[in-house]
Amino acid sequence: MTIVGRSMERKSGYHKRRCLLLCTALSLAPAPLMAAPWVRSFVVDKYEPAFYYGGRPGFEKSGIIEPGVDCPGGTLPMLDFAKVVKTPWRSDEEVASWVKPAQVADLETVHYMQERVLTYRSFRRDIVSYINPFTAPDPGMPSVIGKIAEGFNLDGNVKTGGFADTRGEKGIDNAYYRALGCIGSFRGVPFTAAMSVRSTDKMLEGMYTMVIRLSGNKDPRNDDEAILEIGYSPDRVNKQTDGRASTSYSFRIVKNEQYSKVKAAIRNGVVETEQVAELHTPRFGWFPNQMGDADFHQGRIRLEIGPDGFASGLVGGYRDWRDLYSEDTFTQSGSTIETRDHHDVIGMYYALKRNADGMPDPKTGEKMGISIAYRVKAVPAYVVDPEGPLSAGLLASDKRATQKYQLMRKIFYKGISTATIQPNPKGSNEGAPQLRQRADASWTTSNGERNGLRDSTPPIGPSTMLQQVNNEEAERISSVKPASAR
Amino acid sequence: MGLRLLTESEYRNSIRDIFSPDILVQGRFDAGRRVGGLLAASSTVLSVTPASLESFSKMADGIASQVVDQKHREKLVGCAPKDAKAADDACASAFLARYGRLLFRRPLTSDELKSRVKLAADLAKSNQDFYAGLSDSLATLLYSPTFLFRHEIAVPAAGGKTYTLDNYSRAARLSFMLWDTTPDADLLKAAESGRLNTATGVAEQVDRLMSSPRLETGMRAFFADMLQLDTFSNTTKDSIIYPKYNAQIAAAAQEETLRTVMDLSLKSNDDIRNLMTTQKTYISRVLASIYDVPYTFHDEWMPYEFPQSAGRSGIVSQVSTLSMFSHPGRSSPTERGVAIMDIFLCEPTPLPPANVDFSIVNNTNGPLKTVRERLMAHATTPTCASCHTHSDPIGLTLEHFDSTGAHRLYENGQLIDVSGTIQGKTFQGAQGLGRYLHDNPKFPACLARKLYSYGVGANSEDVSPATYKAAYKAFVDGGYRLRTLLKSMVTSPDYFDTVPPSAADTKTAMNIAK
Amino acid sequence: MVFDRRLLLRGAFQGSAVAMALPLLDCFLDGNGQALADTGKRIPTRFGTYFWGCGLTKELFVPKTIGANYEATQQLASLEPYKKKISVFSGLRAIVDDNPNFQHWTGLAAITTGMSPTKAGEFDTQTIDQTIADAIGHGTRFRSIEATCSGNKNESYSSLGGANTNPPEISPLGLYTRLFGPGFQDPSKGDWKPDPQVLVHQSMLSVVADDRKRLMANLSASDKARMEQYFTSVRELEQSMEAALQRPDVVAQVTIPAAPGELPVSKSVPELQKVVPLMSRLIALGLATNQTHVFNIALAEPGSNIYMPGDSKPFHQQTHEEPIDPVLGYQPVSANFSTHSMKFFATLIKELEDIKEGDGTLLDHSLVLAYTDTSFAKLHALDGIPVLLAGSANGKVKTGYHIAGEGSPVSRVGLTVQQAMGLSIDGWGKGSMATKKAFTEILA
Repeated sequence: MTIVGRSMERKSGYHKRRCLLLCTALSLAPAPLMAAPWVRSFVVDKYEPAFYYGGRPGFEKSGIIEPGVDCPGGTLPMLDFAKVVKTPWRSDEEVASWVKPAQVADLETVHYMQERVLTYRSFRRDIVSYINPFTAPDPGMPSVIGKIAEGFNLDGNVKTGGFADTRGEKGIDNAYYRALGCIGSFRGVPFTAAMSVRSTDKMLEGMYTMVIRLSGNKDPRNDDEAILEIGYSPDRVNKQTDGRASTSYSFRIVKNEQYSKVKAAIRNGVVETEQVAELHTPRFGWFPNQMGDADFHQGRIRLEIGPDGFASGLVGGYRDWRDLYSEDTFTQSGSTIETRDHHDVIGMYYALKRNADGMPDPKTGEKMGISIAYRVKAVPAYVVDPEGPLSAGLLASDKRATQKYQLMRKIFYKGISTATIQPNPKGSNEGAPQLRQRADASWTTSNGERNGLRDSTPPIGPSTMLQQVNNEEAERISSVKPASAR
Repeated sequence: MGLRLLTESEYRNSIRDIFSPDILVQGRFDAGRRVGGLLAASSTVLSVTPASLESFSKMADGIASQVVDQKHREKLVGCAPKDAKAADDACASAFLARYGRLLFRRPLTSDELKSRVKLAADLAKSNQDFYAGLSDSLATLLYSPTFLFRHEIAVPAAGGKTYTLDNYSRAARLSFMLWDTTPDADLLKAAESGRLNTATGVAEQVDRLMSSPRLETGMRAFFADMLQLDTFSNTTKDSIIYPKYNAQIAAAAQEETLRTVMDLSLKSNDDIRNLMTTQKTYISRVLASIYDVPYTFHDEWMPYEFPQSAGRSGIVSQVSTLSMFSHPGRSSPTERGVAIMDIFLCEPTPLPPANVDFSIVNNTNGPLKTVRERLMAHATTPTCASCHTHSDPIGLTLEHFDSTGAHRLYENGQLIDVSGTIQGKTFQGAQGLGRYLHDNPKFPACLARKLYSYGVGANSEDVSPATYKAAYKAFVDGGYRLRTLLKSMVTSPDYFDTVPPSAADTKTAMNIAK
Repeated sequence: MVFDRRLLLRGAFQGSAVAMALPLLDCFLDGNGQALADTGKRIPTRFGTYFWGCGLTKELFVPKTIGANYEATQQLASLEPYKKKISVFSGLRAIVDDNPNFQHWTGLAAITTGMSPTKAGEFDTQTIDQTIADAIGHGTRFRSIEATCSGNKNESYSSLGGANTNPPEISPLGLYTRLFGPGFQDPSKGDWKPDPQVLVHQSMLSVVADDRKRLMANLSASDKARMEQYFTSVRELEQSMEAALQRPDVVAQVTIPAAPGELPVSKSVPELQKVVPLMSRLIALGLATNQTHVFNIALAEPGSNIYMPGDSKPFHQQTHEEPIDPVLGYQPVSANFSTHSMKFFATLIKELEDIKEGDGTLLDHSLVLAYTDTSFAKLHALDGIPVLLAGSANGKVKTGYHIAGEGSPVSRVGLTVQQAMGLSIDGWGKGSMATKKAFTEILA
């Protein structure tokens, strides 16, 4: 296994000019000059949904992200809770008393009160709206109206998709961007939006590692019979002081449910993979319980490898939009998302459903998938196969959180597919459970938890509903593996 | 000779071997000073300042209280008091005599024992706790100068004309040299019985010590000293230019070099000159990122053989040497050359004159693009050339490796020239340098001199090769194997020869060698 | 005044009072008079911590220049009068290794224990202030004093390890009562007991000293000199122990005020602006009168809920919900709260600096570690977690530096602090935060 690019440069003895000429010639010539097996590997150190930012970078208007060709109204404003929580059965006085409570001295309690009210805004008092979003009206989430997006023409049809990318390719399918592209925590110059920065921070902190391995027999810059592998690694990224991952580190690639091996063609350093029915890769996320297989249907990858060996590109396909809704909502709780990231979760549900454009359900024809693309940046690394099966287990606390998340998702899926209202299982994060502990408006929290940490919640206890779900889906649940983390 | 302060590793290893590996030694040791290229030699000039005594006494308290605590007392104290709230002279005496002998590396005198048993009893009474008294009296052994200093005692040799080390001093010298620790029970017995005063007795013990895996501990300590691996504690790299470098890489680099040396010299018992040319090493995951090679995750340390194309050669082109002797932001052929001459050829370089203008050398943005060009500007000045013509060519051959030891072909856009001319002969790259050092008789001579100086604690610049002439010949004739050199050296009949103490003291010299 | 240690060995000291009913004036003068006070030799070194939650704003607090005489920055403006006595650390990292990043917990535990905690809300080992209290906390009425400014008894981050923390005083009146209420030791009157361990150590040293004559024999001249140096060190140690047996001077000129009235205590910033100066003053007086040598004060919890009246969102909530201003590049409301957190720290420093003690101030004779739980609260990030050090620890620490950590572990500060306080340690911390590299550039 030789790395042709590097060993080529070790010809000390060539006069400098000759070597440069030779190097230049190689990068322009379409025909491979050196036919030999080659491998080039990378570790990802930046990853985010590819939302094209249409605002002018220099526009000065303090406080709001400015309007642009993508979102003429600018970034979606902070939610007006009074409007959001108003329902036929909730009087204006009741709304006011919750949104701006008079007598409560503890502001954190106020916050949790708001979270609780947000949680219940369906047509009936007792329904957790985030689990059953179809029971609340569609508030209407403004979508992206711009015509430029990053992504792929997934269906091969230039007439669908409604976007062109910055290279001029038409028919780009990125309906996820259309649906959610004006949301503040995702909108912005690449790799600067809040949730993007947060996820990259966690990835570089060691929450998960994604690796890519390219190989072929002709020439790393031009090879129409290359192979691309992508997958999860249990080995942690080394973060440098300049914020990027250190180069030349070795990583083991795990061939589990987050692994794919696909064919690729490379032309002048640009890698385009085939489009495959299911492209399995690690998931974008900011919490351990979000980890798992992103499962892109009709998935493909494009990667541009620069002369310095650093790579950047796109990963895309159709993803189950219910999965995307769940990732955003149930990782912590719907009300956490609404108060922190300022987008209406019910609106998000309807926007995703409305914009779904792929993965038709074989029985009903309903579109279960939404086109999506992620930007990826990666640094040169060595990706190696592990010697034996890797035993990687989640930490106990992460395991509990992941199981809870996955079961919440199951309940949500069941509800929307059967149009039956699902109850809030015991131990769920929905509905500001911290509020119960603060009923006496005291400063302390029970369970010895400090400062109302929203993420350390007790494990799920039994509940009739959960038992039923467990029984019905026993087989499927046991085969849903927790993310293969360290 | 005479009075040698224990080094940090000698101290820690002694505590580990006398008491238990799980006894924590928490404390600050003074940094040593390199004398004749070795920290071991500085122990003959270092003394105990008030600050270091305070440090030693705190460490002693910490160690002693662990030895008698609930967890350890059953195994380590060896007897129980009649009443745990009162004194018990019999138990205290047995305990203090036993550990006193091990710590002082000779039996306590009756006065030394008596004063401590009394202290133990007094403190047991006032604290109403036998173990408190025991712990504090043990602590007085631990910061006594007899423990902290290796006291090499001279006694008249047979024939009365020369002086030699007494039996306990011999035991200590052999043990610290070969195992970097205090004499074990077997060695102390050999000392006590007088076996160590005979050539066969010494040979017996040397064979035992050298055939043990613990020889590696001793030799690691020697090479860590000779190769100046402690330089890493002062090595920093500019995090903008070298964002990859961190403390983990520094630690791994030291271990890599020691493993390479141990593998070649002890395990394979190979010609030690091959340290300059070997392509075999051991790499960990972080080092693999500097060497830019894939790591197999099989064991923490992966055996690796560099291809010829990597341009490396032996330990002078490992990350350790390359990064210790470089600037934070760029490589320094002068520093590398000076270090290699000092470490491997025993040729230290004097400091530059006070009025040197470094501006040309340090200007990386000027017309002189490579460091070679900038150094050459100085080589033309006679006062500079006298030293630089020796050191710089050595370092210039290593210019394919940047300040962290990573490989590079270009500097500031120019292809790097790695030729070096030493005494009229021109070498290319690290491999040329490695060959030059391998074939240079000064290297094995320097190694032998430093090994000898390390063992006896002398300034290598003051040691005459005549003192270990026979051992050196055996080393050369036997294929330059470290084991041969070591064994011949320490079993040579005059190894324990010493000078008498000052005339005034000769009459009162203690003669313990019986 | 010499205390006979043989008296000690006859059991005369344990449990019985050593009455030294000398008026303050006599001890103060002690034959050498002002000279003793001026050298400050017996002024003890104090240690303390100040904790605030949710970090600072990188764009506003990191000084542009590195090293001594760093340029003051906007967020640290309130500290400018004391800039020469305060060092700022940027670019340090808390590294989690195999443990999760417990939000609003891992960062602060990393700074005070050198380890990434394995359980949220718990410390894997005792915190640094308690390790220092082990060394300097005897000889005073309280081993250490904990206080919190916003009234919540759970808000103490000083711990002997595990889930338990040392309970804090939660109001100025409570702190006053603790320090100066019943049980207050007026240093010029009443009992003062020497530390019994000093007497024990004296008797141990004398046993070692007794070996001297024997050991000096059979040495060459140069070796004799070195052995002599050892015993000189023994004598110096004996002398410093003698000094430690003397009642320490209270050289600060202070008056104990009357008890404060009941003040409302909450997380509102205006109320904190009344409470923090009072708590700080009381702590300073407590140190000056040797009630304790170690203190810990917390502004509020790590997910800091300090708030401005009229604004419905407290600090922590703002850090998550406030968008990053695209022009400024940071969150202005959250930044304002961070600036307030620094103003409160300045209040504490002012109270320490205002007390003259010997030839300097109480601040000069102290070392205060100011720390937080995160570098960027919005992300719960641990990269660039800010730390400040104030005071020169009786000359053991050089002050007024901006140190750029460059990604090195934050445990280096804890190691430096412990070495400055005289603890004999060469390394601290665990995992990727295990370090032997103190910031030697600020150790005198």
